[in-house]
Amino acid sequence: MKREFSRRDFLRVAGAFSAMSAIGGLPSALTADERRLAQFPEKTSLILLTSRPPQLETPLAYFNELITPNDAVFVRWHLSSIPTSVNLSEWRLKVGGNTERQLELSMDDLRRFEKVSYTAVMQCSGNGRSFFSPRVPGGQWKNRAMANVTWSGVRLKDILNRAGIKAGSVDISFDGLDAPPLPSVPDLVKSLPVDKAMEDDIIVAYEMNGKYLPMLNGFPARLIVPGWYATYWVKSLKDITVLSKPFEGFWMKTAYRIPDNPCGCLLPGSPPGKTVPINKMTTRSIIVNPPADAPIEVNKPFEISGIAFSGGYGVRDALVSVDGGRVWNEARLGKDLGKYSWVRWRYPWRPEKAGAYTLMARATNSVGESQPLEGLWNPSGFLWNKIERIEVMVR
Amino acid sequence: MKSYIFPTIAVLILAGFAHGAPDATVHSISLPSIHIELKQGAGRQKTETLCAICHSVDYITMQPNFSRAVWTAEVNKMIKVMGAPINEQDAKTITDYLVTEYGARPSQ
Repeated sequence: MKREFSRRDFLRVAGAFSAMSAIGGLPSALTADERRLAQFPEKTSLILLTSRPPQLETPLAYFNELITPNDAVFVRWHLSSIPTSVNLSEWRLKVGGNTERQLELSMDDLRRFEKVSYTAVMQCSGNGRSFFSPRVPGGQWKNRAMANVTWSGVRLKDILNRAGIKAGSVDISFDGLDAPPLPSVPDLVKSLPVDKAMEDDIIVAYEMNGKYLPMLNGFPARLIVPGWYATYWVKSLKDITVLSKPFEGFWMKTAYRIPDNPCGCLLPGSPPGKTVPINKMTTRSIIVNPPADAPIEVNKPFEISGIAFSGGYGVRDALVSVDGGRVWNEARLGKDLGKYSWVRWRYPWRPEKAGAYTLMARATNSVGESQPLEGLWNPSGFLWNKIERIEVMVR
Repeated sequence: MKSYIFPTIAVLILAGFAHGAPDATVHSISLPSIHIELKQGAGRQKTETLCAICHSVDYITMQPNFSRAVWTAEVNKMIKVMGAPINEQDAKTITDYLVTEYGARPSQ
């Protein structure tokens, strides 16, 4: 597995290890904004947001790669009772409700369906929440609750056709092995409308990058809804239920909703008004290199690079500005792994004068959707895709 | 924020093994135990005990310094929406603690 680590990342990782080996040995001077690394099983050192349930963010250096290694993929659970042990001889994916047949599929059964693979960006709905102004409560993610992974598994449609959806079905709900800590806490169950669930590209994935899923990323199988935010990508699936009435569970009806208007946004601080469930991802471009404080030398070639993706419409172009947005230049796009994947872009630069520069990056998808200059606001901190802007010093 | 990570040699050993394919039919992990210490202050004990029924208290320490209105709404949401078994008086103790120790400065 190829890794590109900056020296700074190395120091951070080394720091986390020494902290872990010395009980109580962390410096007491950690500021509120400083974040630290922690190592969880089957994962490399990731940025710790919360430990129970785990929420772990990926260090920037991993986005120098087209495919995110399994052990570097971010982690996000909602409820503290998460699966830590799965016995594959007992685990079954149950499919039922308003169907002709009830199924109980073992992993071997799943593997006997036609296997399909594609690369898709997985991104938390709240990725970038910490950049909102005014700030909003919730997981304080920076930009790194995202990953680009080659998923393999079986089409949800094929499973549903084997069960036989009865006429009059409207929604399909998905429940995983995670459970609430108390009966009063709403279990995480998500749903898709039947028409959406029957789309060709939605799969139940049992492999990430050709290997089994890490437990913390949803072993043994999770739902993949490419182009849509990961809130729908239910981990450690156990039940698929076809419903003849609209699904009204908490995590659809109350949580993960956005203002019902074209931008999913509001004037900062205003009440939510009418809302709809979040779904498609917005278009984004992220500057990976240089990191904000990298040394850049005057009159030497320097390659600015990053990644761009959209909510399932590919990337038409990625633009870069080195002068705070006055002039935009087209970046060269790298290998195209399909409309759900991110694409790497690069822009060769040779700064002719020393001083401060403002680098910006923006992408447009194949249907013309791009990114706003100002951050759009909503009360839950979703859909963040403000044009990135970083200050660098050329010496 | 003062925090300690309990290493558990077991976790590191496990993490070393975990990169192979799960040949066994039973696949297990063991989660590290990470302790986060909240700031000293009136109501800290209640906050730690009651919030930690459902989640680690880094859910608190990762938040920016919110106003009383936002912290009050968060505590209410935990009780009324997320089902936390916290009575009215304890809710007030927790809210006051959060506002005092993790709240916005008057100038903000």
